[in-house]
Amino acid sequence: MGTSKKVVIIGGDAAGMSAASVAKRKDPNLQVIVFERGPHTSYSA
Amino acid sequence: MARTPEEFRTKQQIDVRVLHEVVGIDPKAGRVRVVDLSANREWWEPYDHLLIATGAVPLRPKVPGADAAGIYGVHTLESGIRLRKILDESRPARAVIVGGGYIGLEMAEAFLLRGMQVSLVEKAPQVMGTLDEDMAVHIAQALTDRGVTLHLNEGLEAFEVRDGRVRAVITSQRSLETDIVLLGMGVVPNTDLAREAHIPLGERGAVRVDRRMATQVEGVWAAGDCAESFHRLTGRPIHVALGTVANRHGRVAGMNMAGGEASFSGVLGTAVTRICSLEIARTGLQTRELEALGRSFVSRTIESHTRAGYFPGSGRIHVKLLADSDTGAVLGAQIVGEEGAAKRIDVMAAAITAGLTAQEVSELDLGYAPPFSPLWDPLIIAARLLAKDAP
Ligand SMILES: Cc1cc2nc3c(=O)[nH]c(=O)nc-3n(C[C@H](O)[C@H](O)[C@H](O)COP(=O)(O)OP(=O)(O)OC[C@H]3O[C@@H](n4cnc5c(N)ncnc54)[C@H](O)[C@@H]3O)c2cc1C
Repeated sequence: MGTSKKVVIIGGDAAGMSAASVAKRKDPNLQVIVFERGPHTSYSA
Repeated sequence: MARTPEEFRTKQQIDVRVLHEVVGIDPKAGRVRVVDLSANREWWEPYDHLLIATGAVPLRPKVPGADAAGIYGVHTLESGIRLRKILDESRPARAVIVGGGYIGLEMAEAFLLRGMQVSLVEKAPQVMGTLDEDMAVHIAQALTDRGVTLHLNEGLEAFEVRDGRVRAVITSQRSLETDIVLLGMGVVPNTDLAREAHIPLGERGAVRVDRRMATQVEGVWAAGDCAESFHRLTGRPIHVALGTVANRHGRVAGMNMAGGEASFSGVLGTAVTRICSLEIARTGLQTRELEALGRSFVSRTIESHTRAGYFPGSGRIHVKLLADSDTGAVLGAQIVGEEGAAKRIDVMAAAITAGLTAQEVSELDLGYAPPFSPLWDPLIIAARLLAKDAP
């Protein structure tokens, strides 16, 4: 795990969460962190 | 679709931290400043790739009284729930909507369903500015028929406030007394963080991106309402704040950040909405855009039925198609009509993407049965007429 790359995402809604899902699927070793200032993720759309 | 942070964590091993705000980006060091809002903790989080997906924020009018109580927006689920609670509890009788875009129209429906008296103020000469004026008149008519009082060509000038609460909306023409105000003036990209970090912005202040959704700063990507798109027909940058586009952006950015190869294919500005039973749809370039581009084009507008004329539930549908007058290639489509009208726009989005001419659209092998369309689909009728004016 030490060499795996890290993706940080700002915003956990439509764009942020779809990017997180696709990135993780493409490279399961990727470390993906999403910061969302609100109390929920992925609502609209 | 709502998935919880726990589901993302356990099913997909995505570490979602809600109530965490990013307050700064340091692209040189490859790190962001994070604040844990529930614990009052703050730190630098390093990254190899950063995605800015901060969305858009509703436009607030800069007029006197704009921060009074009783003025609402519906940008998030929370704000929608809050407004519904107010409608349930204090049962306001009158609403003034500022802005005649899709949010304004959808909220007009919600207010009408509660038996409220609804006025809508719009500074342009028409509602739904993404459609041509001759199509928007059908929407205006439907709104008026359902009891909305329309004030077109009237700019918002101020809110009259008493005891901290909004009492009236002052336009360039009149004063409209009201209990609540709903703002539907559109959104602006939420790009303060990007600007402060000197990440270049473009169209309407959205983050400038290439087709891979990469910004002009190494290791930083952007997607969704905060990012630019490009128009499929013109190749020019355009800002479109829609969930459809945000999800497509996100997929492209996610793939590329994970070392893959993906490219955004652009937008046509395809959009659908509904006010009461009236469906509204558009794709491609409208008259105003074509004129601004100096393109020579022809257009045709027809009226037909959504289903076989004798079939129960058949309603009126208006279709407008626009095509290049030299090549005949279809460039735009607009639809306003009763149930079943709007999603026909997808055929036109596909046709425009494929570069079909009006003649080719008129020859498409589309489905027919009485519950779905007249024998000749309204799109075929419009395309056939258009083909007479275009090669
Ligand atoms: C009432 C309404 C109806 C709509 N209907 C439709 C529709 O029918 N069809 C359609 O296609 N689109 C529709 N949309 C538009 C659609 O919701 C948006 O285009 C979509 O949500 C954009 O997704 P996004 O992820 O880019 O941004 P957003 O949904 O705005 O999400 C951005 C997220 O980033 C978070 N954030 C921002 N800054 C920070 C920070 N500094 N730190 C941490 N987190 C941060 C925000 O809290 C937010 O959760 C509608 C929008 C509204 C308001």
